[in-house]
Amino acid sequence: MLGFLRSRGVRKFRRDRLAMVALTIIASYLTVAVLLLLGLVVDKDETFERVGPNSLVGFLEEPDIEKRLIYLEFYLDEVYSAADGRNPEAELAAIDLYGRVPVSSDPDELIDRIDPLWETYDELIELYEEDEHTEVADFEERLAQLEQEAEALYTEPDGLLGRLALSLGTDRQGRSIFLRALYSIKVAVKIGLVCALVAVILGSILGGAAAFFGGVVDNVIVWLYSTFSAIPSIVLLMVLAAMFLGSKYEGTLVPVYTALCLTYWIAPCRVIRGEVIKLRELEYVQAATAVGYGRGRILLRHILPNTAHLMFINFSLYFIGAIKSEVILSFLNLGVKNEPSWGVMIQQAKQEVISGFFWQIGAATAFMFVLVLAFNILTDALQDAFDPKHV
Amino acid sequence: MSQDQPILSVEHLTTSFRTDRGIVTAVDDVSFELFRGETLGIVGESGCGKTVTSKSIMRLLPDHLTIYGPTSRIGFDGMNLATVPEPTMREVRGARIAMIFQEPMTSLNPVFRIGWQLDEALKYHTDLDRAQRRERSIEMLRLVEIPNAEKRIDEYPHQLSGGMRQRVMIAMALCCEPDILIADEPTTALDVTIQAQILHLMADLKNRLNTAIMLITHDLGVVAQVCDRLLVMYAGRVIEEGEIRDVFHHPRHPYTKALLDSIPKSGRRERGARLATIPGIVPSLFELPNGCRFEERCSLSEGRCADEEPNLELHGDRRVRCHFPIESGEPTAAKEAN
Repeated sequence: MLGFLRSRGVRKFRRDRLAMVALTIIASYLTVAVLLLLGLVVDKDETFERVGPNSLVGFLEEPDIEKRLIYLEFYLDEVYSAADGRNPEAELAAIDLYGRVPVSSDPDELIDRIDPLWETYDELIELYEEDEHTEVADFEERLAQLEQEAEALYTEPDGLLGRLALSLGTDRQGRSIFLRALYSIKVAVKIGLVCALVAVILGSILGGAAAFFGGVVDNVIVWLYSTFSAIPSIVLLMVLAAMFLGSKYEGTLVPVYTALCLTYWIAPCRVIRGEVIKLRELEYVQAATAVGYGRGRILLRHILPNTAHLMFINFSLYFIGAIKSEVILSFLNLGVKNEPSWGVMIQQAKQEVISGFFWQIGAATAFMFVLVLAFNILTDALQDAFDPKHV
Repeated sequence: MSQDQPILSVEHLTTSFRTDRGIVTAVDDVSFELFRGETLGIVGESGCGKTVTSKSIMRLLPDHLTIYGPTSRIGFDGMNLATVPEPTMREVRGARIAMIFQEPMTSLNPVFRIGWQLDEALKYHTDLDRAQRRERSIEMLRLVEIPNAEKRIDEYPHQLSGGMRQRVMIAMALCCEPDILIADEPTTALDVTIQAQILHLMADLKNRLNTAIMLITHDLGVVAQVCDRLLVMYAGRVIEEGEIRDVFHHPRHPYTKALLDSIPKSGRRERGARLATIPGIVPSLFELPNGCRFEERCSLSEGRCADEEPNLELHGDRRVRCHFPIESGEPTAAKEAN
């Protein structure tokens, strides 16, 4: 191990500054993922009402009067839908938002509990929309009064963590976008690891077996992957994920795992098959046969380790690929639902973007972009450092 | 040299392959015996079937393409290796009959330490525990004269030179103390000094371990150094067999003689003298002549040779496949064939 750390490849790799930056970034992503997976950090959706497209604080702090009222309208929408139970997610948000449990199923009673000031908001919006606020002499005054009342109702987050959490604003339900983007790392890393591992292991074993045993085994496996690869991959992904709609796995990671694992093994299988066809003719394979090893043992212990470089390359490709595909599936409502994920965030941000609130989609994209870019740089640097043909 | 019971007796071995152009017979009715503690040399040009013979014995040829003749028998320890099931064959390979190959550069798996590879073989064929296996591996490396065996055992194949790698291959082949070692051109890829070392090592190990060696080569110099008996093959057939000195001094088949004549000799040469060669090429296995397979290239051929293939006949303790074998005692001066 020590010898490896001092080897030429490692030294070359460590001199590559860009690669070290990429490695640091990936290490921090992985640290977050590990902390989340081990439950050392709990990814509950803490809510803040500091900044955000739909939070009241947008209204409280925005200087432009037109935008203030847009914030307010958004917020009120949320309150309404929470109150009449149309949107169960919003109802939950209402509980989180104020730390109160709705005690009544009566919408009128509920809405008072959710926000006692709702009638005042409503009145102000109406006044504004009818362009009467210029005529009502005390509009500004009432607005200022409302501000004070509202501010008294909500607490500001405090401390470094609070400020950090609000650095990228909140979403419509008042949840910190920064934290949600951060928590999404868990789903991303889980999917990336599981799918890339399964794809590479499955692909290697099938590809290796096809090449090594030949004959019927080869025919069946080649037929299988040719058939799979004849279907456009995004359609295949959607169909496989859609199979789970309505089942108890809908909205969990299971459809995503299934869809990705079943589509991603094809390329590694093809590549490893080609390599093993080359390797099986080499003398050390014959030598291994001459020592008397069985065929399975030769394939698994003597040939496949020689394709490790291809496995690593494919793993890194599909780690990234799986994360990106998960985002697409979640965006199409076929992926995760109950956990924060970048795809879910981008999906939810659709309506916000139209109104000019870009930070949710921006944050989700940026978090994914940085991870993907860092991973690509890292694999490129590893290739440069360790490829024996590249002196 | 010969003891009563041969350790390996090959009888009427015929190995054919299915190819796109039909069935081709690479080894045709080859019979020979191998005794304990003996080194048998098999020589011949490229494509004469010597490698196929050795791989037939080990059954290393692709199953679905290979056909063994119905009368072929590879007798070893009461078994017929041509027909035993694969699991039995796996117990024979490595443990009872071991093989080393031509290319030491590629015969070791590049991703594992040599210790791992030795260990794997021992793990597979013996009941030794981990520590014993390591001890045995080091002992084997010492036996094949690898200096610093304790350190070398943890090196990767690319850290070793060609000669070292061939030593490791020999160590791997011998670690389970096989009865027979088949060496398929073990020194071809090595330079001459290393060649000599490896040959001496093999001869030495044969004496110490009483292993029978089957040495396949096209290099008569190598054969002369280490073999006890010689088998000459041509186009899939055995054409001459005998004690090494006998064959070297009194070749009886014209092909053997031509082969011996075409060895460059050191010392003074006549001005303008050219190295004797055998004209023509080995006939294609797809278009074998009716008569003697060497007829086209033979300087002694007569009418009968083109029509009728000679049988392998016993002449004293020699076997020769020729209608007109050169009488022993006849001078062996080269007849310029061209």
